[in-house]
Amino acid sequence: MKMLFADAAPPKLNLGKKLLLLNWPFLLLITAIALVGAAALYSVAGGALDPWASRHVVRFCFGLALLFAVAFSDIRWWLRGAYPLYLVALLLMIAVPLIGIESGGARRWLGYGELTFQPSEMMKIALVLALARYYQWLPPEKIWRPDALLPPVLMIGLPLLLALAQPDLGTALLFAVIGGGLLFLAGVSWLYFVAGIVGIVVALPHAWEALHDYQRERVLTFIDPERDPLGSGYHILQSKIAIGSGGLTGKGFMQGTQAQLNFLPEKHTDFIFTMFAEEMGFIGAVALLALYLLALLFITYMALRCRSTFARLVAAGMGLCLFTYVFINVAMVTGLVPVVGVPLPLVSYGGTSMLTMIVGLGFVLNAHVNRKVTFRPEETGPLW
Amino acid sequence: MTKKPPDYVRRQRHRFSRRALLVGAGQAGLFGVLGWRLHQLQILDSSDYRLLSDENRMTMQLVAPSRGAIYDRFGTIIAEDRENLRVLVLPAFCKSLSGTLDALATVVPVSDATRDRIARAARRQSGYYPVLVTEGLSWRQFALLNVLAPQIPGMRTDRSAYRLYNHARPMAHVVGYVGMAGKAEVNDDPVMRLPGFRTGRTGVEKTFDRELRGSPGTIEYEVDVHGRVVRELGSKPSTKGKDIVLTIDHHLQTVAQDRIKDHRVASMVVMDVVTGGILVMASTPTFDPNAIAFNPDLEQWKELAKNRDHPLHNRAVRGQYPPGSTFKVVTALAGLSAGVIDAEEQMRCPGSYAVGRKIFRCWKSHGGGIDVHQAIKQSCDVYFYETAKRMGIDHLALVARELGLGQTYDCGLPGQKPGLIPDKAWKRAKLFDAWYPGETVIAGIGQGFVSTTPLQLAVMTARVATGRAVLPRLVMSAGDEVEPWPLVNLDPAHLEIVRNGMIGVVNEKGGTAGRSALKLPGVQMAGKTGTSQVVSSRNEHKLSAYERETHALFIAFAPAHAPRYAAACVVEHGGGGSRAAAPMVSDVMTELLLRDPAGRPTFVSTNEDQTPSALAVVGSAR
Repeated sequence: MKMLFADAAPPKLNLGKKLLLLNWPFLLLITAIALVGAAALYSVAGGALDPWASRHVVRFCFGLALLFAVAFSDIRWWLRGAYPLYLVALLLMIAVPLIGIESGGARRWLGYGELTFQPSEMMKIALVLALARYYQWLPPEKIWRPDALLPPVLMIGLPLLLALAQPDLGTALLFAVIGGGLLFLAGVSWLYFVAGIVGIVVALPHAWEALHDYQRERVLTFIDPERDPLGSGYHILQSKIAIGSGGLTGKGFMQGTQAQLNFLPEKHTDFIFTMFAEEMGFIGAVALLALYLLALLFITYMALRCRSTFARLVAAGMGLCLFTYVFINVAMVTGLVPVVGVPLPLVSYGGTSMLTMIVGLGFVLNAHVNRKVTFRPEETGPLW
Repeated sequence: MTKKPPDYVRRQRHRFSRRALLVGAGQAGLFGVLGWRLHQLQILDSSDYRLLSDENRMTMQLVAPSRGAIYDRFGTIIAEDRENLRVLVLPAFCKSLSGTLDALATVVPVSDATRDRIARAARRQSGYYPVLVTEGLSWRQFALLNVLAPQIPGMRTDRSAYRLYNHARPMAHVVGYVGMAGKAEVNDDPVMRLPGFRTGRTGVEKTFDRELRGSPGTIEYEVDVHGRVVRELGSKPSTKGKDIVLTIDHHLQTVAQDRIKDHRVASMVVMDVVTGGILVMASTPTFDPNAIAFNPDLEQWKELAKNRDHPLHNRAVRGQYPPGSTFKVVTALAGLSAGVIDAEEQMRCPGSYAVGRKIFRCWKSHGGGIDVHQAIKQSCDVYFYETAKRMGIDHLALVARELGLGQTYDCGLPGQKPGLIPDKAWKRAKLFDAWYPGETVIAGIGQGFVSTTPLQLAVMTARVATGRAVLPRLVMSAGDEVEPWPLVNLDPAHLEIVRNGMIGVVNEKGGTAGRSALKLPGVQMAGKTGTSQVVSSRNEHKLSAYERETHALFIAFAPAHAPRYAAACVVEHGGGGSRAAAPMVSDVMTELLLRDPAGRPTFVSTNEDQTPSALAVVGSAR
């Protein structure tokens, strides 16, 4: 057993070394995506930096500072802190229905006055860290055992149920995808996944019963948008008109009629891709998607190069998070999936989601910087 | 020999690599689905969607709120919004921008400069924001344009408002004027992007801009490809800005303005000493804000801005003058409170005073028997040289600040200057030099570094008159009774001595302003003259005769034994205070006491939120 952690002295990295080890092209890539966001927000405001574009850039810069802080921090802290962080996030999520602030029919925020905070955002990071921490601890030969599967399923299940209760379908979906994806990457047997999918298919009719009316309505109008063109199908229809009318080359920067004429609700947050696709056309939209895909490939590459299970899973988990956001958002505005209210990472206007995403990317870079680091069993400690 | 256990760690790593690649491929595949979807929407079905997008265009436009009115204390309207007929273009709906402008030019003049401005605006912002072409149309032009509307694509006419200033010239400095929103402001509030929207540039219009502005309404309509309105979908009316009631009495303001306008540069402030309300704030030369706020004439504007007498400046708060002998009121109070002089002590005035080798002159030789009452009454310099020297500059500065000098007031007037009350710390910090005794001596008669604004002098007078820390106000606070101001940190007996001296100045034989006593039965005015030197004798020869002349100052309060009003007047290069300034204050004070504005009920604005015809009238109704 000792042989497995043979390289006894873990390389101690100072800041200078870490700067060299950082993946700078990746950083450049996400800055480019954020700048596309700023340009789109500039256009949404009718050619003005205020109210969105300037703040977007400021927040991104603030986020970059956080990203560096996370990327250069000691990965062992996070290994040690993963469970406590998860517990805090879980407790906060439990606190939300009790003392949270209600807004728009959902109770998702904690806070007082202007200062609000969404514990489910924190949970996205904490869940990835906790699962990675678990599989770092679990001896590989035990992965197949059902009793080894129980703790991670609980870790995913609790926040998922809490998110569903808020109700926040988008976040619940995100937890499911990140959690399931990480279990898969960690090496859990195919059989469990097959069993899980069968279970979901069986449970689906019951879940339908449990859905809120407005959620059912969304699913129904998604299947047939013309059902209610002025009601909940309105968003999808208008969004499709806007994107479709953009054509190959688009209507030109700041010239989109649908978005500029206030057809779109939330055009600066969830529907920013619509406006972008209308003004920049097929070429621009595909180029933006290509940037995201490139970022995802970078993340996969970085995850593959990590030596420790913890670093690998953290990087891959954050990648899953980014992917899910982008896919759901674009699929939503193009009418492929129902409207679930998920922002386009780094492009949509909004403080909390931008912060979560950028901190998540900080963890990817942290894993990359610490790619050569391995942990001794005593560092991993017992389960708790 | 046991069988080698399988290397689980290596196996796990390989499994991770396999599965990560699988997940990566899955992600790329799903992105492919998104790309396929975009291809379907934007390439295959694009023409269908383009048709749909052309069919339904909904525009939402902001409706400018009308600006709150400004009233004087008795409800006379000083500034109000009037209807303004305008023509605008929406560049996105024009077939060609120049074609539309050519068509417009047949009805209203469109200059080349206007064309440039519109072209620039059309490039800079989205084509769905209307751009102003001309405003202030006549009814004839307006009607003609509305008839022609179907033939001029992209044109809109609407009714908005312009600002009308009544009693413009006397009130110009206090009320200020509005102008097009500056570049920095535009991003502040979406309403700023409305063509021709104006915000306060100076005066009350600037300070209370947020309150006066109101909030915009919206109007939504569906338009076709040519920008013609198909139907109105709904509207939300705008909210009119708050009205503002000033403490100024416009009648007295006019009287004061008429009285001072014969001088090249002069200003006068009158305050209600109980409430702090400013009743009069006149400054000459003045200007007509109507000429600036609406369709300004560039030549006229340049002339105003370049004029050496700066007509745009409100002298009452921006003019900083050495207070001269009016400052002796402060020196006397400071000396009494420091205990270096008392009511009985008498000094001799030989007409000059020596500090070291330097000789300071008095304006005349007063002889012996000068006590503090006589010193104020006859304005004896030597008495105050000695008093200042005995107590030192720091105590003098302390009392001056207690009386409200050396500061600006939060009363709603932008651009106030703080003046200067020097002390040792100030000189060390700013001039890197020690304080000299000679500087204390001349500060005792309000010369040297000391400088004040007319408003500060009025506040100082009010504080001496009441013994309370009066602060000026310019806007009526609705309804509530004014709490009495806190007492100043000075002995009431000392204040009484100084007030008696000031009564002597106007009403006793030998007082410096004896000729300006009120001609009203049973009412007296108390005051203090001041004549301040502008230049040191060293560079006197470089200046013209006008610039060499002294400033004339006068401060006063009345009625002398039950003070209600305080006044301060400064005439730049006006000569002696008793000759130039005191008679004007006396005249205004007479009018003031006869009118007694403080004793009459003030106007309260109803501030109703009506939206007049500011709702956009859309040109090409079907």
